[in-house]
Amino acid sequence: MSVAHVPDWFVHKKVRDNLIVARWVPAALVGLPVLVLFAIVVYPTVWMFYHAFQNTNMMRLFQGNWSFVGLDNFRTVLGSERFGDSVLHLIQYLLFGCVLQVILGTVLALSLYELVRKEWLRVLLLIVMVLPMMLPPSIVGVLWKFMLTPSNGAVNQALLNLGLVRAHVEWFNAGVSLWAIIIADVWNWTALPMLIVYSGRVSLPPAVYEAARVDGAKGWLVMRRITLPMLKEVIAIAFIVRFMDAFKFVDLVYVMTSGGPAQSSELPAYIAFQRGIREFAIGEAAAYAIIIFAISAILITLFLKYLKKVLKAQGIA
Amino acid sequence: MSEQGARLVRILLLMFLGLWLILTLFPLYWQFITAFKSAAETNRTIPTFWPEVWHFENLASVFAEKSNFNALVDSFIIATGNTLASLVLGTLAGYAFARFPRQAGGENLAFWILSNRMFPPVAVLVPMFFLFDAMPWGTDSHLSLIILYLVFNMPLATWLMMVFFRDAPRELEEAAYLDGYTPLRAFVKVTLPLVLPGMISVAMLCWIFAWNEYLFANLFVGTQVRTFTIVIPTFTHGSQTLWNLQMAFSMIAMLPPVALFILLRRYMVRGLSLGVVKG
Amino acid sequence: MARMQIEGLCKGWDFPVIDRLDLTVEEGEFFVIVGPSGIGKTTLLRLIAGLETANAGRIAIGDQDITALPPYKRPVAMTFESYALYPHLSVFENIASPLRARRMDTAAIRAAVNEVAELLRIEALLDSRPGEISGGQKQRTALGRTLVAKPRVFLLDEPISHLDAKIRHELRQQFHSLEELRRVATLYVTHDYSEALSLGDRIGVMGRGGLVQVGSAREVFMRPRTLFVAEHLGQPAINAVAAHIGGEGADLHVRAGNSGFGFPIGGTRAAALSGARHARVTVGIRPQHIKVLRNGEDAPGHHVIEGHVEIYEALGANGVLVADAGGISLTALTSPEHAFAHGQPVRLALRTDAVFYFDSETGDNLLL
Repeated sequence: MSVAHVPDWFVHKKVRDNLIVARWVPAALVGLPVLVLFAIVVYPTVWMFYHAFQNTNMMRLFQGNWSFVGLDNFRTVLGSERFGDSVLHLIQYLLFGCVLQVILGTVLALSLYELVRKEWLRVLLLIVMVLPMMLPPSIVGVLWKFMLTPSNGAVNQALLNLGLVRAHVEWFNAGVSLWAIIIADVWNWTALPMLIVYSGRVSLPPAVYEAARVDGAKGWLVMRRITLPMLKEVIAIAFIVRFMDAFKFVDLVYVMTSGGPAQSSELPAYIAFQRGIREFAIGEAAAYAIIIFAISAILITLFLKYLKKVLKAQGIA
Repeated sequence: MSEQGARLVRILLLMFLGLWLILTLFPLYWQFITAFKSAAETNRTIPTFWPEVWHFENLASVFAEKSNFNALVDSFIIATGNTLASLVLGTLAGYAFARFPRQAGGENLAFWILSNRMFPPVAVLVPMFFLFDAMPWGTDSHLSLIILYLVFNMPLATWLMMVFFRDAPRELEEAAYLDGYTPLRAFVKVTLPLVLPGMISVAMLCWIFAWNEYLFANLFVGTQVRTFTIVIPTFTHGSQTLWNLQMAFSMIAMLPPVALFILLRRYMVRGLSLGVVKG
Repeated sequence: MARMQIEGLCKGWDFPVIDRLDLTVEEGEFFVIVGPSGIGKTTLLRLIAGLETANAGRIAIGDQDITALPPYKRPVAMTFESYALYPHLSVFENIASPLRARRMDTAAIRAAVNEVAELLRIEALLDSRPGEISGGQKQRTALGRTLVAKPRVFLLDEPISHLDAKIRHELRQQFHSLEELRRVATLYVTHDYSEALSLGDRIGVMGRGGLVQVGSAREVFMRPRTLFVAEHLGQPAINAVAAHIGGEGADLHVRAGNSGFGFPIGGTRAAALSGARHARVTVGIRPQHIKVLRNGEDAPGHHVIEGHVEIYEALGANGVLVADAGGISLTALTSPEHAFAHGQPVRLALRTDAVFYFDSETGDNLLL
């Protein structure tokens, strides 16, 4: 059948209804969840988008007399030093919180998998390491706040006893308080990337490893050339999960430092929360939310594109 | 790398693992012993690493006020209710996305659903507060949080279920059609059992996230309904924080998620590996 | 009358896969569709099963038009190439599945399943899971599932392709003997032509877009309508030599290129081919029609050419010899008794009256 000879029915064919499931079924299946999500998310999103351009605050909201102010809110936010500082704090958190968690999680997961031979021990250690994730972040914040109390906290006492410091560390001074938050968060959530990478490692095909063993490769070489490349995607996903959470990060800040002292441990989402819920500058908070979302969406999309490219080159994606 | 070098690395890594275990356990240990200390002891200038006197009654005194126990019940109702809702909705949507990607809205809709995890909480809180205020269930009710938590649990459930459904071979459903089963019956007889382990891991994750939630609960409920997360900070004596009681209660509240994880860890690992590796 | 009729069936995605296909399979007929991988055989089965929707055309079983019916309403049963057994159910439940769909009562189900299991000799496996049984056993379970459904048409998609030779042979015997398959219209798909020739009442050779030739095994093998059909049936594959027909008057020759390969066309064939004088053709010679002559041996009625050995394979029951004869590579079947060395000169005797002539453009058999 040559190319020129394209039959009529082919030219005029339309994608007919699937016989198995009526056309309306997929739409209906997705319809309900989407409807719910619409109500829950689209409505607030639209609301926020709208009010980001208004000068809304609590009073005006109740009285219904807010007015359009164009990009004022955005200008306020982007121009404020407070926001700029919070972005720096966010970067600090991303580097030493997010990235650290993923690296730690990967190292822990692979060490656990490769070095602990006994099944029961592995399970036990896994459960122990996952325990911090089972606590509410708010409680984790409280616990660490308690332990990091400069004057009589457990941490300082332990550090003193071990001879690692000579005087009490002022965990909640400006400049240090953010580290306190980061430490608490790392403790709380490292188990998640660890679980993800561990699960990924579990599901790698054993055939590749047998081939490697036959070839005589072992240890670090196998890790570097086989395990890590195959886990690239998994590690990336673990990173994305924590990365997305970073932009919503409020609980720990709220509980441990209230952003202080002097706004030195504020993160963007927290400021949005403060301005919106505590100080009722709703329009401004809305602008905050949009900016935060935009930044995170752009970064994640870029990262995904880059990831796809890398994986495609490797022939995976 | 030499044999010696490899062994050295191995030892170092094991030491690191051990160190991490200590670091993981230390705060939990602290939580544990604090729960049994007296209030005075917790405020000592020099903290004690072992309770002088074990106040086991702290556990009971947490429940001296019945409302504290009710807080656990409230949390349970909300977590379970939301998990069910998220699971049902997520399964429906996940199946549609897996089997009929184009008709169900395609990649864009799926991505949009997932992207909702990226919104800072405030984006949802303010408008939803006013919305719920106008609704028959109000803000201070179980239903309010059950619905609200869908914001972060439903996209998660949808995404994971979609991956699990993709993993279930379409041919098995087709074989069921040829056996004479309608799509619905085929789904129940063939697809659901295959996807059940995945559903369990999704349910577990959703439940734990809902159980542990604090921020939304803090703002929406407080009188009619109280979750344990907002009750714990109220354990104060005047301006003094009752650390011991707070720790005691949080330990108790930790039991359900931990028990769930221990019981269902296999599903969790399997679920994550499928969900992440294939997703 | 459960005869299956397909009229003008059309299906295409990026390009037309099935183009206006017509086919009638009589009740009780065992029809085999053979063709290369990816040509659309499975698509055809899926269209009949209802798992794909046709772009045009009509499918009827008996006097029931099933074109618009969903698969769960069609009176067909199908075995999948991958068996598609339900992994979470026992073999018993897998086989019982169609009956449970009809909500038969337990006792009747048990009787039916046991009967089929005994027939297929898998009654010992009824409590096992698909994950625990071998490929051949899985295949029989899948077959059992279709038998128990008592459909009006059986669809079998490469049922034994993935099994090893011995089991394949065994199951082929079973297909021969299973009465049920012979009572109802059966459509059997395979890429293995010897299976097709062995099992089929009729064979359909599938090429691009549809069935290129339909007929009995003998017919399709001995009188292929196109080069494609000839090439696809037979192992080793037929020798296809590009040549042209020349000669003057009553004398017709075949010549291949610039080589010395050539022979006269005689008798009735010359008459039939005279219209193709000066035409370019593809000459098809089956390896079994090329005899390797031993020293001093002669072959009357054959045309003998000289060549030397390129490759020789001793395959137990016979040998496959590839020889270069005047620049043309020819494959011949030999008896296993003699070995041949590379470069050894040989004399090949071509049975010229069994040669096919195909139009070099359309591939049509010029003698049909």
